[in-house]
Order: sequence, then C-alpha cells, then structure tokens
Amino acid sequence: MSTDPRVSLVLALADDELVIGHRHSHWTGVAPHVEEDLAFSSIAQDEIGHAVVWYGLAAELTGKDPDTLGLGRQPDGYRNAILVERPNGDWGYTVARHYLYDTAEDVRLRTLADSAWAAAAGATGALLREERYHLMHARLWLDRLASGPIEARRRLVDGLIAALAEAPGLFEPLPDEDELLADGTLPVSHDEQRRQWLEIIAGDLSALGIEHVLQGEAHHTDGEFVATSSGELLSAEESDGRSADASGGLGGRHGRHSDDFASVWEEMTGTYRAHPGATW
Amino acid sequence: MVTTATSVTPDDVRAVLDTVPDPEMPPVSIAELGMVVDVRVDGGLVELDLVATYSGCPAITLISEQVAAAVSAMPGVESVDVRFTTDVVWTPERIAESAHDKLRAFGIAPPGSGQTLVQIGSRPAPVACPLCGSTDTVADSPFGPTPCRSSSYCNACRNPFEVLKP
Repeated sequence: MSTDPRVSLVLALADDELVIGHRHSHWTGVAPHVEEDLAFSSIAQDEIGHAVVWYGLAAELTGKDPDTLGLGRQPDGYRNAILVERPNGDWGYTVARHYLYDTAEDVRLRTLADSAWAAAAGATGALLREERYHLMHARLWLDRLASGPIEARRRLVDGLIAALAEAPGLFEPLPDEDELLADGTLPVSHDEQRRQWLEIIAGDLSALGIEHVLQGEAHHTDGEFVATSSGELLSAEESDGRSADASGGLGGRHGRHSDDFASVWEEMTGTYRAHPGATW
Repeated sequence: MVTTATSVTPDDVRAVLDTVPDPEMPPVSIAELGMVVDVRVDGGLVELDLVATYSGCPAITLISEQVAAAVSAMPGVESVDVRFTTDVVWTPERIAESAHDKLRAFGIAPPGSGQTLVQIGSRPAPVACPLCGSTDTVADSPFGPTPCRSSSYCNACRNPFEVLKP
C-alpha cells in the first residue's frame, strides 16, 4: 500500500463507516418497531455509502479499486475503531453508541471541512448534510431513553458507560498524525477533536442528568482508567512501538481489533472472498 | 446504420441526458433532477460531471451505465467518460421547475413544499401534501424508501407521502 499519510486518514474514516453501517444493518427486520427498522436500515445504507466516498479517495491514492479496499483486506488491515465493531447488544447500548459515534463523526467532518486537501474538504459538504439526520435520530432516542421509564434509563446509562470506555478509540491518533497536521490535511489533531467532542456530549448528558457516566472517560483522560471489557486482540504484535493495550478502545487505527471483529469481518467480506473479482 | 461524424455540442448531450430517467424516480430525468454539473465535448470525446442526489447513492453505478449508453448512441460520439463529483453539493433546489408536477404525481413533495433544514431538537415545519396540497401533514420519519427521501402523512387526504429531503 502507498505510504501517502492520507491513506491512513481515509481508511480510518471509511472503515469506521463500513463497519458501523454493517452493525446497524443487523437491526434490519428485528428492530423494536417498524419505524426503527426503517431508520437503522437507512442509516446503515448512508454509512456504507459514505464509506464508498472515502474508499473512492483512497482508491485515487493507492490505485486500488474501492471494492478491493473495502472488502479485500485481512482483518489486521482494517483501521476502524474497536467501538464500531462491537455487536449491537441491547437497545440501550445501540442508542448510546449511535449517539457517541455520530456526535464524534460530526466533529471530525467539520474538522475536515477545513482540510488543505481539497478532495477531502469537498466530500464533507454532502456528508454533513446527510449526517444531520443520523444525529437527530440519535439525540431523539438518547432523550427518550433518558426520560424513562427507569428500565430504559438504566439500560441507556449502562450502554453509555460501556460505549464511553471504548469511545477514545474514535480519536486515536493516526500513525501519520504529525505529517497530516503539518501539511494541513488534518486541520486539528484528534486529541483536540476529542476535547471538542467531550464538551458537546458533556452538555447533552448534563441536560439529561446523567453526566456521571462520563467518569470513566474523565479518568481515562487522566491516564487512570483501564477498560476491562476489550482485552481480546486478534493481533498482539507491536507494529510501531505502542503496546497492544486495548484500554480506551485503542488499537484499531493500527489494525488491532477485538474478537468481535472476526465475526463481522467474515460476514462483511464473505461474498467478496467467495467470488473473487465478481461484479454486482 | 452508418453515420458521418457530425460535431456534437454540449447542448446536444444535455438534450440526451434529459431522456435518461432517474432509476428511483422514473418520471423525472437525471437532467431535470439537477444531477448534471458539467458537459465537456472535444470532437467525439464527451466528459460528464454528475452529482449524486445523496452521496454513496446505490443507484450511481446504474446511472453511470445508463448515461454512458445513451450518450454513446449519439452519432459522432466516440467515447464517454462519466464522473461523479463532490465539487458541488446537490440540494433539491437543483431540481428543474418542470419536474415539480411530475414528482407530485409520483407522490413526492418537491422542493418548495415547506421542507426546511431541521435544527436538532426542533419540530419539522409542515410540508404541503403532493397529492392534495394540504399542509395539515405530519412528518413520520426522517427516513424513507431511498436515502434522499423522508416519510410524511397527510391528515387531510389520509395518504402517506414522501418528501425530498432539504
């Protein structure tokens, strides 16, 4: 693969969208009611469509076609955050992750809108318009579950605590972060984007009276928090001197994933691997 | 049929693009939908920049093939290069006036029916029903049968209808 640092940026964006889109699609046919069936199916289609946009940019940089990039890599070639590969769990976790992910995506798209890389900045125009609907949907459900009954609020809180423990992985610095910052491809560092994101979600969660769920995040920021639920890694090799520690859901940007990725990867790429070179 | 090479103009190409139906809203052509951004003609070579109504729209490949087929069939055209661009952002305002009634007849509220960019936390404004014109309508879901459409319901004529997302 090309050594252009922009490849790691677009693959992180594309792989997050592809994998969360695939996870969202698991609600198709089995969501709590038909409107949510439609909503999650539609959001899944959007996210996978957005992945195609980013794979298109990666294709220009690498000379590989978007299908090969999207479906033709081994698991340790994927750069998605561990958070997006987790199964949907219950509705509380689904809503929590959906909200945290789409809020993070809004921050990173608005960051890239100012990118010195014109093609990336251009792509954010349509994406931001379309992502508004995801954000509206996520916030509507965040509000609805937080407003009770008690069982709903408890499940949402549990989901937020679990998802927040791995959400830092969405803002894990890229392997080529310094180069991307230096030439303005990335106008703002992922650390700073994470701070912006935390400010937004802290506001929302405080308004709902559930800001205590942020304690895990805050501790992680202080370097004290150790996640316990994400320890299983496919590959423990150190590719760049970082430890293969999954605390904070980190590792995805370096191709290190949880056991949960294996099943979603097999399903996602199954048709492509069974029929190499097929067109549809 | 043998034709002598005649010089093709961008307007000729645009006229042909006005005959290519949108796969998901077939009463309307891709030209009427405002998908054509630029047409460049150099002798027999035609280059087209199109914009998708929704990024990653699953119909993009089909549209590319249908456009390439239609333009390739024009006398004097030797090759066609169809490209989707993100240089412009498609908005419903790109839809031609001539397409509005066709969309209504198809059960879709065209732009200008009252749909507005919804702010998070606020209620969407009522959209005029494409079937009876009433604004006594409610938004059912921001999602619909294709990524560029949402779902609404008309209390006056009691029909569900779709809205082109703003």
